[in-house]
Amino acid sequence: MALSLIFKNSARTQVLSKLPANLLKVKPVNTRVFSQLLNNANTTKGSLVSVVSKNVIAKRVMSGDHSKLWPIEKGVAIALLGVVPATFLMPNVILDDVFAVMVVMHAHWGFEACAVDYIRPIIFGAAIPKISLGIIYVISALTLGGLIYYNHHSAGIGKTIRRIWELEPKQTAKN
Amino acid sequence: MSLIFRLAGRQACNQFLKNEKTGLLNFIRPVTLQAKPAQPPVKEGHDERNMRLKRPQSPHLTIYAPQLTSMLSISHRATGMVLGAYAVGLGMGALVFPDDIPCWVEALECYNPALLTSVKFMLSFPLTYHFWNGIRHLIWDTGKFLTIKEVYLTGYAMLALAISTSIALTVM
Ligand code: HEM
Repeated sequence: MALSLIFKNSARTQVLSKLPANLLKVKPVNTRVFSQLLNNANTTKGSLVSVVSKNVIAKRVMSGDHSKLWPIEKGVAIALLGVVPATFLMPNVILDDVFAVMVVMHAHWGFEACAVDYIRPIIFGAAIPKISLGIIYVISALTLGGLIYYNHHSAGIGKTIRRIWELEPKQTAKN
Repeated sequence: MSLIFRLAGRQACNQFLKNEKTGLLNFIRPVTLQAKPAQPPVKEGHDERNMRLKRPQSPHLTIYAPQLTSMLSISHRATGMVLGAYAVGLGMGALVFPDDIPCWVEALECYNPALLTSVKFMLSFPLTYHFWNGIRHLIWDTGKFLTIKEVYLTGYAMLALAISTSIALTVM
C-alpha cells in the first residue's frame, strides 16, 4: 500500500524536477500538461485513501494444475493422427480397440474443455457445472464400453466405416 | 527540489505558484500513512475479476467482426463436437443394437444415392477438417507459425486441404 503511494507521488516529483527549465523561461511552455495533471490530482484527491484501502490483493484462481495432463493430451492427439487413418485403411480388432480408447479419451477431454468454458458457475450456479462434468464421465464410460463391445461382438469400428465406402448404390448401377 | 523551494520564496514566483494554470501549490498536500495488518489475498475467479473490473465478455460477439482466425478456431471445436457425437452415437448404439448397425449400413445401398453421398460427406468433412486443423493446433503448441501472417497462411492452406480431401473421399 505504501509502495503504491510512493509510486503515485514519484510520478509527480518527476514532473517537478523538470520544472526549473520552464521556470527560467518564465512563460511555461506546457501548461496543458499541468492542468491535465491537476485534473487528475483533483479527481483522485477525495478518494485517494479509499482507493488505496480498496487495493486488496486478489489472487486469481484459474482451473487447477493442468501441466501433467497436458502432455498426455497432446500425445494422444499426435497418436490419433496415425491411429485414425490406420483403423480405416486396415481394420482389425487391435486397431479398433486402440481407436476406441484413444478417441474416447480425446473426445472426453474435449467435452470437458467445452463444459468448463460454457457451463460456468457464475451463470449456472455451483451445482450444474459439477453435474455436467459427472454426466460427461458417464457418457464417456458408456461410449467406451459400447465401442469395445462392438469391436469384439459385432463388425468393429474400422470395418463399419470402411463398408460405407465400399457400398455400390443400386440405383446408379441401374442407370 | 531545493531550487524549487528557493524559487518559491521569491515574490514573482509566488504568483506563479498560486497561478491557477501553473499552480505548483496544488501538487502539495499532506499524506498520512497508516500501518494495517496485511490482508490475506482474496480468491477471485476469471469471471469475478472481469465483473469487478466491469469488463464485458471477451470477445464481444455482437461487436467483434467475424474473422478467419476466430471462425477456424470455433469450427475446430464444432467439428470436434460433431465427431464426438458420432463416436458417442456409435458407442451408445452398439450397447443397444450391436447387431443392427451393420445392417443399417448395408441398407444405405437401397436408397437414393444422394443419401450415401451426403453420409460420406457428413462423415468425412468434420474428420478431414479436424484432422488437418488438429495438425495446425499441434504445431502451434510447439510455438511455431504463430505470427498473424503465418496463422492466415496456414489457415487458408488447411481449408483448401480439408475441403479437397473431403470432396475426394465423398466421391470415392
Ligand atoms: C485425427 C486426429 C485428431 C487430431 C490430430 C486432433 C487434434 C485435436 C486437438 C489438437 C485439439 C485441441 C484443440 C485446442 O487446442 O483447443 C482437439 C480438440 C478436440 N477434438 Fe480432436 N483431434 C483428432 C481427432 C478427433 C476425433 C476422432 C474426435 C472425436 C471423436 C475429436 C474430438 C475432439 C473434441 C471434442 C475436441 C474439443 C474441442 C475443443 O476443445 O475446442 N478429435 N483435437
